[in-house]
Amino acid sequence: MTTNKSLAKVAVGLAIAAGLAACNNDNLTSLNQNPNNPTNAPAGALFTNAVNTTTARFLGAGYDMRGASLIIQHQAETQYSDEDRYQRLQSADTRTFFDSPYSAELEDLKKVAAKGLANGQPGVYGPALTMQTWTFSYLTDSFGDVPYSDALSGDSTGGALLPKYDAQKDIYAGFFKTLSKVSADLATDPASDPGLGSADPIYNGDVASWQKFANSLHARYALRLVNVDPATADAQLKAAFTAPGGVFTSNSDMALMPWPGDGTTNNPWSNFYKGRDDNRMSQTLMNILLANNDPRVKIYAQPVQDSSLYPGGYGGMPNGLLTVNAGAYGNTASRAGAIFFPGVTSYGTFGGNGAKLPSYIMTYAEVALIQAEAAERGLGGLSPGQAAGFYNAGVTASLKQWGITDATAIANYLGQPSVAYKGGVAGLKQIALQKYIALYTDGGQAWAEWRRTCIPAGLTPGPGAIVSEIPRRFFYSPTEVSVNGANLQAAIARQGADNFLTRVYWDTKPTAAPTCS
Amino acid sequence: MLRLLKRISSVTAALATVASVAAAQQSGTISGRVLTEAGTPLASASVSIASLGLGAYTNDRGDYTITVSAARLTGQTATLTARRVGYAPKSVTIKLSANASIAQDFTLIQNANTLTGVVVTALGIAKEKSQLGTAQQQLSSTELNTTHDPNVLNQLQGKVSGVNITSGGTQGGTTHIVIRGSNSIKGNNEPLFIVDGVPVTNDNPLQASPGGGGLGGGGRDFGSAISDINPDDIATLTVLKGPNAAALYGSRASNGVIVITTKHGEASNGKISTQFTSSYTWDTPSVLPTYQNSYGQGAGGQFAYKDGQGGGIQDGNDQSYGPRLNGQLIPQFDSPVVNGIRQATPFIAHPNNVYSFFNTGHTVDNNIAFSGGTDKATGRLSVGMQNVAGIIPENTMQKFTGSLNGTLSVSDRLSTSAVVQYTNDAARNRPGVGYNTGILEQFVWFGRQVNLPELKNQFYNADGSLYNWNSNFHNNPYWIQSENPEQDDRDHVIGSVSANYKVADWLNAQFRSGSNIARFNTQQDFAQGNLNFGDQSYFGALQLYNFRTNENNTELLFTANKQVGSRLQLNGTFGANKRYITTHNARTSTNGLAVPGTYNISNAAITPINTQYDDRKQVNSGYGSGSFTWDQWWTVEVTGRNDWSSTLPKGNNSYFYPSINTSFVLTNAIPALQSRFLSYAKLRGSLAEVGSDADPYQLLTTYNGQTTKFGSLPQFSLSDNIANSTLKPEITKSGEVGMELGFFGDRASLDMTYYDKATTNQIIQLSVSPASGFNTTSINAGKIQNKGFEALLTITPIKTGNGEFTWNTTLNYSQNRSKVVSLYPGLQTQVLGGQWSANTEARVGYAYGAIYGFPFKRDSAGNLLLHNGLPQQGSLRVLGTIEPKYVAGWSNEFRFKRLSASVLLDIHRGGNIFSITNMFGQYSGVLASTMNGRQVDWDKPGLVVKGIDQKTGKANTDTVTSEQYYQSLFQLHEPFIYDDSYIKLRELRVGIDLPDAMAARMHASAVNLSFVGRNLWMHTKVPNIDPEFTYNTGNFQGMEFGELPNTKSLGLNLRITP
Repeated sequence: MTTNKSLAKVAVGLAIAAGLAACNNDNLTSLNQNPNNPTNAPAGALFTNAVNTTTARFLGAGYDMRGASLIIQHQAETQYSDEDRYQRLQSADTRTFFDSPYSAELEDLKKVAAKGLANGQPGVYGPALTMQTWTFSYLTDSFGDVPYSDALSGDSTGGALLPKYDAQKDIYAGFFKTLSKVSADLATDPASDPGLGSADPIYNGDVASWQKFANSLHARYALRLVNVDPATADAQLKAAFTAPGGVFTSNSDMALMPWPGDGTTNNPWSNFYKGRDDNRMSQTLMNILLANNDPRVKIYAQPVQDSSLYPGGYGGMPNGLLTVNAGAYGNTASRAGAIFFPGVTSYGTFGGNGAKLPSYIMTYAEVALIQAEAAERGLGGLSPGQAAGFYNAGVTASLKQWGITDATAIANYLGQPSVAYKGGVAGLKQIALQKYIALYTDGGQAWAEWRRTCIPAGLTPGPGAIVSEIPRRFFYSPTEVSVNGANLQAAIARQGADNFLTRVYWDTKPTAAPTCS
Repeated sequence: MLRLLKRISSVTAALATVASVAAAQQSGTISGRVLTEAGTPLASASVSIASLGLGAYTNDRGDYTITVSAARLTGQTATLTARRVGYAPKSVTIKLSANASIAQDFTLIQNANTLTGVVVTALGIAKEKSQLGTAQQQLSSTELNTTHDPNVLNQLQGKVSGVNITSGGTQGGTTHIVIRGSNSIKGNNEPLFIVDGVPVTNDNPLQASPGGGGLGGGGRDFGSAISDINPDDIATLTVLKGPNAAALYGSRASNGVIVITTKHGEASNGKISTQFTSSYTWDTPSVLPTYQNSYGQGAGGQFAYKDGQGGGIQDGNDQSYGPRLNGQLIPQFDSPVVNGIRQATPFIAHPNNVYSFFNTGHTVDNNIAFSGGTDKATGRLSVGMQNVAGIIPENTMQKFTGSLNGTLSVSDRLSTSAVVQYTNDAARNRPGVGYNTGILEQFVWFGRQVNLPELKNQFYNADGSLYNWNSNFHNNPYWIQSENPEQDDRDHVIGSVSANYKVADWLNAQFRSGSNIARFNTQQDFAQGNLNFGDQSYFGALQLYNFRTNENNTELLFTANKQVGSRLQLNGTFGANKRYITTHNARTSTNGLAVPGTYNISNAAITPINTQYDDRKQVNSGYGSGSFTWDQWWTVEVTGRNDWSSTLPKGNNSYFYPSINTSFVLTNAIPALQSRFLSYAKLRGSLAEVGSDADPYQLLTTYNGQTTKFGSLPQFSLSDNIANSTLKPEITKSGEVGMELGFFGDRASLDMTYYDKATTNQIIQLSVSPASGFNTTSINAGKIQNKGFEALLTITPIKTGNGEFTWNTTLNYSQNRSKVVSLYPGLQTQVLGGQWSANTEARVGYAYGAIYGFPFKRDSAGNLLLHNGLPQQGSLRVLGTIEPKYVAGWSNEFRFKRLSASVLLDIHRGGNIFSITNMFGQYSGVLASTMNGRQVDWDKPGLVVKGIDQKTGKANTDTVTSEQYYQSLFQLHEPFIYDDSYIKLRELRVGIDLPDAMAARMHASAVNLSFVGRNLWMHTKVPNIDPEFTYNTGNFQGMEFGELPNTKSLGLNLRITP
């Protein structure tokens, strides 16, 4: 009797216990729905984030101000000059320029493009593929062979988690193909395609502008191959110039990132200067500006603190000094121009509204100078007779872009014997030098152009540098050494040792450029 | 606690006479009293005759009575045994004659030997230790509280074998604990804590790191949840070492379990007893870097101050490679300015400038506890207050703990209990660690000539700008403490209610529902001018962080015990549990405030940045165990558990895992084995498997909303992790064998275990090539193996006949060898964390926690290859491992009459660390070690680095300055990888029990006054830092930067027992 009662209680208890254990196991799954993040997001919101991320990265503090603009001697470092001596441009320091773009903006742009392609919206995938190409070019120009055709395809069902590296030659072929498609498809963008609209901070969804930008980029990459593959360069320049919509024809066409400057999202140079004061203008760029009475010097730089040192008040500092010697230049070399400063900084007040200054993704000045070079060399369907016109247009556009709008000032500058277009190899050197000046704030492009043209001539590392030549590429990422070793080694076997001095594909014929001799 | 006692009743010797149908008419009785050595009654001790399956428990007066039926009184002899948790059992032989009425008293002695007696095991079930087939170690309240440390985990250091404990130096900071090595590549490797049946994880939502400062945390160590438990409230702490002992706890048991039971009230006829403890401790940093005092701020031997930002000569520079400190006249930050011109003043060393920043800290800790009860109800209330004045200026911490424990017997069958522990932990200016926020970081970059007290006396210049020695990179450290306060507070409640129902004499049912609830807020103010955070164009900045978590466990558990015949004892448990966890994280910050001095988010001048993260998880479980013990010498137990987890996909979310263990008490099986030499011998072995689930939301790849908008445009980005909708549970398989031996009548005992365990199918976010578009992918892969040996030797070398002098010594030893066996096809490594380009990794073929970094570039003969006379980076390789060769503890306890003393040495042998303090301390030239090469002047005599010039291939002859040399070592990790061996005098205590008469005058039965010390001495070869450090409870360990050293504490303890 007692036992039966006990057993009954046991049974009830067991039933409760079983209930506790097994209750609603089906509902468990629904509990795992992520309340924080959605599994889908609008193309526009992805695009906005991706384009300002990639612009801030390659035209901002890390890649440009503490990397490319020191290598190309737009700027120099007064304190902790490790980057300027390439000590801190080794694999551990530059890995982020490899690792981050892929997993951040490139992947997001791929998703935007996929959405646009699926819905037949060139107005969505055109801009996404254009900015993807722009981003990829900084990668391949900085590292050489990088994953491209296999890249960005990771997923849980077997996409390439360890993508192979493509030869740079094939990557450039991919650029041309992509940009041609973008240009052609944008020409037939259906009226029903709402595009990206206001989610596109660059052109506010204007399809024709994207078309011009795609064609202009097409021309940039075509010209880059001119030393190693002149035939392709010629054909692709022609393709770019004759593509529907054409290339930039004025400053109002250029691609720029208009920073809100609201304290949250600011111009990346102004963000850097807000807390750091150890960049000064390089003597290399400063001497070029001063030698030609360049009115841009007042925009690009500020007078030195100790203004008695220089008659005009402007001075540069040598690159790659040891910390011992670099510090003194804080007072005796020019800071970047006031327009790049946000106003109040931790070390004083300079300028004012730099937080809102746009970043120049691609300028009309560069396009006109590309046309000038193509013309001088008879490429892309242009002829030498057109070179001077394009040259003058390019220089004028650059001056105007930086606020030198006074016609007399422009004419005076252009009229100087050193600036007035000479034609021939001398002309090509002038074109390259003007591009070097115009590409201030885009050290990455200036670095690539120097490798292709040897202009500015005679560039050498500073005395404290850890190598005795200007770097021609960055080391591959340690992440890839760890994770994607086999594919990386195949690339190194093809391209050459993983160091500063190995040349990327388009840089492998150093003597082919007429401006190098 | 009552339920625990009830279970003891079932376990020990089947006191229940279930089958006794015949009522005894002429029964006999055995009765008596169980007392402590001190003569106080011991309630709830069991007294039993195992051979007859008879037994009883003592009441609150210590009395027991056993009734024996007439039929069993046959004149035979029997063994009568008295036992109680924490005491050595005692047996006597009695003769059971007809109508006997036997009186038998016992005096139980507190357990010195850890081999026998009743211990708390998984699910809080008390068992005879002799019946356990797995390794575990139990510490009593006394053992825990030898000296005073507010964090109970620090009290475990050096006392438990198989456990590796590292404590951060930050007062109130984290202590990292790993039992038998790390199992999981990326998951949690800390044990699960069970406090009075309620699971408590030792995580802190804001984990600090050697990288230091981030939004609302990262740069500060806020401590971990378990440090909220008041050590004075703990009755016993049991370490279940690994999956074998802990299999019943399920998913989280693979790393072992620490079961804490708190003190409870005892039946005392309603008389309330009061216990009071008080301690006062003086704390100082145990080690600070050794600085050079020959060269001041600057570079290249040059320095002159103008504005601290490069306006003078090298005055923006924050290193000490400046001019020699020989009193030459140089303008300095504290030099007088006359008519706008800064005067030159003597350039001299201030050798104490860093040391004087640190104070002697004070910790005052008072606890009072009241307990008592009747046979129907008991209660204990404990209140603790702790006040810490830290070792850095303006750092204070207050902790309040309250604990209430009550039991109520509703009827003979139904009893209930409720426990609640409340902690409020509030701090101001917890010291920062790591880069950017580190207290010691700012002294790594420092001018050795800086007269620090000047900065304490003055915060602002006449024009309102900040007064400081450097304005480029550093804030005035005193101004930071005073005007940029960090504040945090945490409310933590651990509570449960339970009911125990005796279904039948052999069957008990228990229902319990308990929660671990924590709420945590931090606020960090940044005054205008703070260089680390905040836009200079606004009036300061503000960061707020808000966290709450609630984990509820509701459990129903049946326990059955039955004696079959006189030799077979059967035990069984069956239970079910529902675990439901929610957490909420929210951060709000602004980099710009509109009005100075008002630190409120509504004062933001720019759109605040907000983030929110919530998660929810549920696990349902059913589990059970069955065991038999034959004739008191052979026990076999099997367990099984099935979990259903919300975080795994349908089809994979139900998983079962079993375990089996057995023990043989050889000296019981073959009594002939016993000798004067060998008094006890037991062998045990166990095989176990434990399954584990994933973190929430790993099944579907998501898009993450960005914390900032682009102007007014929303921004999203695809997650960098590829989710996996087919995840499976990860499985840890573990085997262990052990031996427990007693010698010389238990004067010595040895407990040894060898284990081998492996975790497979690990759920990891595996690193993939970023070129895939993702950084990681969630997969099941990888295998980590841990093999190890642990031993605990306890000896009483001296015990005088009259017991006036005793010496107990305990030695424990733990050695674990881990190996990352595999990760994923084609993959060699998984990064656990990294700093300055060195990583701590799980790398195939190496122990868990390989340090991977840049060595010197060398030729094939091992010579350094130099460029311009300086070393260069070689190719990345493994430079060391964080895994120690062994850890050991040696404790000694001496007692002479009223005097007692104890000493604990903590030994950590082998393993490596990467010290970033040393790397930057040399880069910046503040460390004494950078005098090499500048013994004469900043550039004299210089250094000729031994090596081969890479260009010439010949021996190097280039002379470089010490500045060039030490700066060339930046991100060259090899010279900063150290052997992490150390010996610490962890605890020292000398105490006296005041004479009874004096105690009586204080209305107390005992008064103990002790002098206590922690971390008083250390031996290590690691320079300038405390080689023992941690920043968090995570897996990224082994890299040090700006960590505060563990404090050296001296103090007085007063304990008054009623």
